[in-house]
Formats: sequence, C-alpha cells, structure tokens
Amino acid sequence: MNKDSQMRAAINQKLIEMGERERLKELLRTKLVECGWKDQMKAHCKDVIREKGLEHVTVEDLVTEVTPKGRALVPDSVKKELLQRIRAFLAQHATL
Amino acid sequence: MKMENMLFSGPDPTKLEGLVHDIYSELVDDACLGLCFEVHRAVKQGYFFLDETDQESMKEFEIVDQPGVDIFGQVYNQWKNKECECPNCKRLIAASRFAPHLEKCLGMGRNSSRIANRRLATNNNVSKSESDQEDNDDLNDNDWSYGAEKKAKKRKSDKNQNSPRRSKSLKHKNGELGSNITSEPYKFSSQYNYNPGVNYETLGPDEVRSLLTTQCGVISEHTKKMCTRSQRCPQHTDEQRRAVRVFLLGPSAPPFPDAGATTVENDSFDIPDTQTLMHRLQWEDSPDISPADSASSKASTNHSDSRKPKKKKPTSGLSSGGVGSLTGGSSSSSSSSSQINVSLANKKKRPKLSAPLIPTIYNELN
Repeated sequence: MNKDSQMRAAINQKLIEMGERERLKELLRTKLVECGWKDQMKAHCKDVIREKGLEHVTVEDLVTEVTPKGRALVPDSVKKELLQRIRAFLAQHATL
Repeated sequence: MKMENMLFSGPDPTKLEGLVHDIYSELVDDACLGLCFEVHRAVKQGYFFLDETDQESMKEFEIVDQPGVDIFGQVYNQWKNKECECPNCKRLIAASRFAPHLEKCLGMGRNSSRIANRRLATNNNVSKSESDQEDNDDLNDNDWSYGAEKKAKKRKSDKNQNSPRRSKSLKHKNGELGSNITSEPYKFSSQYNYNPGVNYETLGPDEVRSLLTTQCGVISEHTKKMCTRSQRCPQHTDEQRRAVRVFLLGPSAPPFPDAGATTVENDSFDIPDTQTLMHRLQWEDSPDISPADSASSKASTNHSDSRKPKKKKPTSGLSSGGVGSLTGGSSSSSSSSSQINVSLANKKKRPKLSAPLIPTIYNELN
C-alpha cells in the first residue's frame, strides 16, 4: 500500500516535471471546448445558480453540483485520446 | 530510477490501468474546477448573465428572415422617400440630394460662395452693382480657407481677378439668371438684358406697358416673342418698334421716345401715301397746279396719318418734299419727281422687315 502511493507520487512528479501534465490539461480543455462540453456545463451552472440564488452561490456548491455531471459528459473520443496519451507517457518513462 | 524499478516491479497491468484512469479523472476534475472558478467569478462580478435577455425582448427583436424584408422586418425600398433636414437651412432635402445640397448650403465646394452670394442678393432684393457683388464674392472667397495650401492658390488667383475671364464668368452668371427667368415669364423686369424673348401674349397690359417703356419689344416673326434688348437695339428699326407699340398698346399709346425726324420719314411708307404720291406726280405733270390743291393733298395725307395715333407731327417727309417742290416753283418737274422716286425707293428699302406687320396693324385699327 505504501509502495503503491509511493509509485503514484513518483508518477505525478514525473508528469509535472516533464510538463506533460500541463500539455494534457491544455489538450483536454481545447477538446472539451470543441465538442461543446463547456457550453453544456455552463448551462448546467446557470441552472444551479438560479436554483441557489445569485448571491448565495459558492465555489464549493458549484464544484459539488457540477463535477459529477462534468465527468459524465466528457465524450468517449476525448476520453479515449487522453487515456492513450497517458498510457504512452507511462510506457515511455517506464521503459527508460 | 526508483520509479522505473517500481513500474517494472509492479507486474500487474490492472494496477497500471487504474493509475492511468486516476490521472485522467484528475485532469477532468481540474477542468471542472477551472470552469467552476470561471463561472463563480463571472457570477460575482455580475457578467455571467449578460448574454441572456428576457423572453419578451427576445421576441420583440427577433431577427426576421423573409424575402423582401430586412432583418428588422421593414421593407427596405423605402429609403427612396426618406428626407433629411438640412442642419443649416432647416429645409427638408431628399436623401439622395442631401450631400450636394449640404455642400452648397454649408459653403464648401467650388461655387458655393458665388451661389450663396446670389441667394443673398436675391433675398435682399438690393440692386447692387455688379462690381459690388464681385467684391463680396472675393471677400467670401478669401474668408473661407480650406487649408494653407488652398489659400495660397487663392492668392494666386486673386491676382487675376481683373482678367477678362472673371468678368466673363460674371456675365455667364447673368446669363443663367436670364435663362431662369424665361421659364417664368412674369418676372422679366430686371433681367431683360440677356433675355432671348418674352411672349407678349402671357403678359398683362401693365407689364406690357412697362416693358415697352424700357426695351425694344419688337415681336419676332419666327419666335413670336418680344425683343428684350434696349430701345436702341440695332437689330430692329424704330419703325418696327413703333408699330409694335401701336399694336400692343392701342391708339392711346404713349409716343415712342425716339419719334422724330427719322420716324417721320418712315411714316410715309404705306399705301395711302403712295397713292398721294401718285396724285402728286400727276399734278406735277399738269401745269395748272395750285397751292390750294397741294394743301388739300397735304390735308389728305394728314387725314390718312391721323388714323395712326402715334404720330405727333403728321407732317410727312413726302408732303414737305411736295411743298419744297412747290416753293421751288415749277422749275423742273422731272427732277423733283425723280427725287421723290429716289426717296420712295429708299423708304421701300428701309422698313422691309416691318412690312408684313404693318398692314395687319392697320386692319386692326380700322
């Protein structure tokens, strides 16, 4: 268990060090904007905000309300591409 | 190093796959969190709902997509009837003519000052002399400075202001006025100088009278219009002028100002005079000619003349010639007759132009 978390931290560090994490984030963002995910999410945010009232909205509320839907709404193609990129990265650095 | 060892040591690919999915979900959560921050900030700054409007206004300003209609649902051919109010003179100008009007009204452009001056002159109705007007013109031209460069040009052109080109342009201006006037024949009084002709049928008696006191007025045979030159115009004879006055003003007409010796000569050209001439020739052939007879003949000529009301001095050149021959005695009747013949020939030549007019005038008078 300890070993597993160790490995996880090591991989994350590697991702950040290499800048791959930033690249992946940017890729995901553009893909999500392209496929309309962002507009859908914004519409959902509006509903949430109307429900709560404009003055009483907090970031925590938004995150808890929005994140599950956000995860679900990511298109399969985007998800597949991203997973592929991560796998390739891991394989590349595992073989080194 | 360490990681590689671990990865290699970690034999099960399911663990690796779980790791990949974890990384992925982390990324997605990051994206969601970023979006949440963005939205929250927008809400708190108050610009989140800016792109939304209420349903009523959405309906009201819905974009119309129909043929023949613009996006506001208006027929777009109506621009033709649009009129704009000139900010300078407050008149309504058709939109298509607005730009040219503004150019003239505001005093931009090449001819504007001239036009403005003309308008001022007509408005004030001041009979300025041409030189006065010209001075004003120059003044305005200099006042208006389009730029330093243009001003320099103006200076240059100012030097040429006394050149004939300038006076020519002024004349042209007057010519324009005259042609404008012909379209409205009732306003002929001031610009008769360049007026090609006035239709006398459209004028009232007073206008005719005033016109005839100032200008030639002879009616052209071709255009049926009156000559508008001065009374001394070289194109028409005094005889013609007088005949026209008789024709238009009737017997009570004031005498033609030039009625003098020349007109008296012209009087003799008409049928009764030639008849008396024939009588005279016969009398002179006969030896027993008496002063009484000549007086009677004179009276007859006077009588015939009196029917023409304009003549103040009905003593015709013919009758005086007759008297002259009488006073000279019967020295040479042939010479006097030849003299008369010569004078007759002269007279026949001179009033040629008015010849077809005069009989009609007399018919009317009788």
